[in-house]
Amino acid sequence: MKKLVTDVVVIGGGTTGIGVLRDCAMRGHRTILLDRADLAQGTSGRFHGLLNSGGRYVVSDPESARECASENAIVSRIQPNAVERTGGLFVVTPADDPAFGDKFLAGAALADMPVQEIDPAQALAREPRLNHGIKRAFLVEDGTVDGWQIAWSATASAKQYGGQALPYHKVTQVHHSNGQVTGVAATDLKTGEEVMIDCSFVLNCAGPWAGQITRMAGLPPVAVVPGRGIMIAMNHRLVNTVINRCIPPSDGDIIVPAHTVCIIGTTDHKVDDPDHLVVPREEVQQMFDSGEELIPGFRQARALHAWAGARPLIKDDRVAATDTRHMSRGMAVIDHSQRDDLKGLITIGGGKLTTYRLMAEHIVDAMEEQLGQSHPCRTGDEVCPGNEPGHNYLVTHRLKDREADRMTSPIICECELMNRSMLVDLLKQNPLDNFDDLRRQLRVGMGPCQGGFCSSRVAGVACEEGVIDATRSTGLLKLFLEHRWIGLWPILHDAQVRQAALDEWILHGTLDIGHVPSPTSVERDPVDDAPIDETGPTTMEELPPGARAPQPATTTRRRTRAPRSQAANTPKETK
Amino acid sequence: MTDVIVIGAGLAGLSASIRAAQAGRRVTLLTFGLGGLQLGQGTIDVLGYTTSGETGAGGSGPGPDRPVARPFDQLPGYVRAHRDHPYAHFSVDQVREAVDWLAGLTPDLLVPGDGANHVVPTALGAMRPTYLVQPSMVWPDPTSVAVVGPRQIKDFYPDLAAANLEKTAQVRTKGYHIDLPARPGEVDSSPVAYASSLDDPAFLKRFAELVAQAIGDEQAVCLPAILGLRRTDAWRQLSEILGRPVVETLLAPPSIPGMRLNEALTTQAKAAGVRVVLGSQVTGFESDGRVITAVTLRQAGRDQNFPASQIIYAPGGFESGALTMDSYGHVHETLFDLPLVGAEQKDLLTGDYWADQKLFTVGVGVDDSMRPVSADKQPVYQNLRVAGGLLPGAIRWTEKSGDAIAVTSALAAVDAVFATSAPQGGTN
Repeated sequence: MKKLVTDVVVIGGGTTGIGVLRDCAMRGHRTILLDRADLAQGTSGRFHGLLNSGGRYVVSDPESARECASENAIVSRIQPNAVERTGGLFVVTPADDPAFGDKFLAGAALADMPVQEIDPAQALAREPRLNHGIKRAFLVEDGTVDGWQIAWSATASAKQYGGQALPYHKVTQVHHSNGQVTGVAATDLKTGEEVMIDCSFVLNCAGPWAGQITRMAGLPPVAVVPGRGIMIAMNHRLVNTVINRCIPPSDGDIIVPAHTVCIIGTTDHKVDDPDHLVVPREEVQQMFDSGEELIPGFRQARALHAWAGARPLIKDDRVAATDTRHMSRGMAVIDHSQRDDLKGLITIGGGKLTTYRLMAEHIVDAMEEQLGQSHPCRTGDEVCPGNEPGHNYLVTHRLKDREADRMTSPIICECELMNRSMLVDLLKQNPLDNFDDLRRQLRVGMGPCQGGFCSSRVAGVACEEGVIDATRSTGLLKLFLEHRWIGLWPILHDAQVRQAALDEWILHGTLDIGHVPSPTSVERDPVDDAPIDETGPTTMEELPPGARAPQPATTTRRRTRAPRSQAANTPKETK
Repeated sequence: MTDVIVIGAGLAGLSASIRAAQAGRRVTLLTFGLGGLQLGQGTIDVLGYTTSGETGAGGSGPGPDRPVARPFDQLPGYVRAHRDHPYAHFSVDQVREAVDWLAGLTPDLLVPGDGANHVVPTALGAMRPTYLVQPSMVWPDPTSVAVVGPRQIKDFYPDLAAANLEKTAQVRTKGYHIDLPARPGEVDSSPVAYASSLDDPAFLKRFAELVAQAIGDEQAVCLPAILGLRRTDAWRQLSEILGRPVVETLLAPPSIPGMRLNEALTTQAKAAGVRVVLGSQVTGFESDGRVITAVTLRQAGRDQNFPASQIIYAPGGFESGALTMDSYGHVHETLFDLPLVGAEQKDLLTGDYWADQKLFTVGVGVDDSMRPVSADKQPVYQNLRVAGGLLPGAIRWTEKSGDAIAVTSALAAVDAVFATSAPQGGTN
């Protein structure tokens, strides 16, 4: 067992937890962050990528809009490379009430949010694919943001101040004695090692999973009500400006251009288990219909991939709305010294990515107040490492890079312009990564072919570089394809059906991937609904590098799925 | 004047064209692209795996997805278990004769079948069953194999293939690299560039020397399937220089063996008098309700009607876009809007990557003369026949059956045309 000593343990490696890690570290607290999966693999990596101008809140909640407007500017300054300054439009479609636009303008004025009403013709000149029947249009300062880039560069900043992030560490228990938190026990899922961390404070930033953490502390459960929302990435940037529908917030009312794609979102349905988020075909239909309202012909455009995220909503009736002093809008802070007479534990719920830095500030303030301390927050003052001040992301960055180095390193993923040296560098840095971990950093497999061509190359390179042996590499390849399919099958239509059939011909027809040996332990949960995209712990536990002598087995095809009750008994060889 | 219009230049379309032309018909082959052969593996599959725990005829016993040793022996049992399979339209002899006919067309390129499946190594290290192979793919049953490829090709990784082949082929293997771009200075050479370079004797010699320097004393050498495009004896020369058998290993497309096959069959078709019209997309048709009278051809941005006497429609399946599913989940055949079999099933797609997806079994139902039929089994058009990937009832990439389905259905369609109409005579 590994023993570590620190002041603060942050549980949850989403943007909230990482923001807290950075803030704690900058204020001089020794801090360790734990996540059972990769950083920003949960909700922070499963949204549409909007850096909110505040426009989406101006009518319902001007205070929230004010926070967004000011944090939008701060994040663009301290993490410029994660942000693309696309600008945003709020448009009134023929189906919408033009009078809402007046409320919108009034709210914006109240929130000090920059907004400019423009002529619909000007909006159409800027975004020609928009519904030509739009009646009003408002220009705002929306941007798009890569949640993973935010997470990594904030983590890098935290590290400069001594903060540590330990992904793939699953918390097993929160220890306390005499009403005071004393430590956290965790398991390193990539090595199997147990880790015991002595600490005096735990900040529970596990979002939709926060209730599971309070259970590990032996406390009455915190009522988490995850709200599932689906998003669909379209193959092209149908728009280069964030397009919002100028109506009270509703399903499918936003299209966000992000990297090489654009993303439509979203829905909101209560779920019980944030680990099993389905993408129902009827909600996909709803998104396509909403897309048509904003961009006629949306249904004929190529849909690439869908995913679902869980909003981290907490509804806890054991705590009266007491601690509102330390809350950002839309955020819940539960101080367990008041709720359960346990000192050294605070649980956080709610929030939004745009205001992640501000939320972290409030949370660390709350902790310091309990500790009787008060250090100033400086997270808004310093540019995070790896960011060139003033230089925001442009979708053409990679093209420029490849133009420069195409004669020295082959392109492994043509869709996302990832070359071999990018892949090799990351593999050598993180030899325990699975292919989804690599994908989040490199975007490999996220383009039109969805891994049909590039994923076997990744397996080959990993093996050739001696980073991952052939058996594990083959297993990771199969796992990657399984995970890609989870986001593909609900949205398959037209061009992407054709692509899927071609990919099947390549991987199964020609390469016969189903009959290449892989570890017997590659097995998934016998559940009938689609598990969360890129499952971290459950599957990675079963693929420890070198931890178990892999036995050859083949992955064969079944004509039909076994019913739930039988699936659990299906022999491993048939999976 | 044309007797037969064939639409599609994949294996089914080329086979139908050649067969009809050899029988004296005037044939026009209309194709938008270069056909699907160059995306496939360049061998001829009959049946590589039986699926879903059905008992094979050879007493192989139940079990999912079993490799097939002798496909023609297992076909009767397989068809009994899969009544909706395309093979259910044919006798075993019909399939065998069709495959033998094809092998006879290209004797230099396809090793005649002896009833048993071959196994061919793939870039991922599977030993893939198939029926007719090219001479460069015959597995010599070695006890040790050197797996070697150029560093500059990005769809072949010798270490990965070698390690997996050790298990699947039960041989001692080792991976090696050579450093030789297809063209000077390239870091990213395509299989086509290598195959063209290997047509050049000087490059082939240099390639062979580097391989010889790299490998150990293994009994055989696995190389990526890039061994020559125009000349088909590059593998033999390499084998002579290296003093041991050389085996081509299947790669992701573009497929050099598939291009060789395409080239050979297209040459045969032209030699038999087929008029091949490339870059011509068939976008519509005219009909009197009983027969199709003309197809609309879009060429160089212009639409023109092409009068039709007999039509053999062989455009491929979902991979070519001839079958598609729209955003509402409705499945269509995209040119003639033909009735489909299997499209109304529930759960056409599921979230289990390893499960066969029912969507890909949807296709155009036909009678035994390959005419598309409506739900009440009546022919939709008297002069329209389909072949190949449009036929419902099989997931070809899983069971490794697409090639023989294509050839057999193409010949059945042509033979049915002969049975109903005499050549119109005259000269072109």
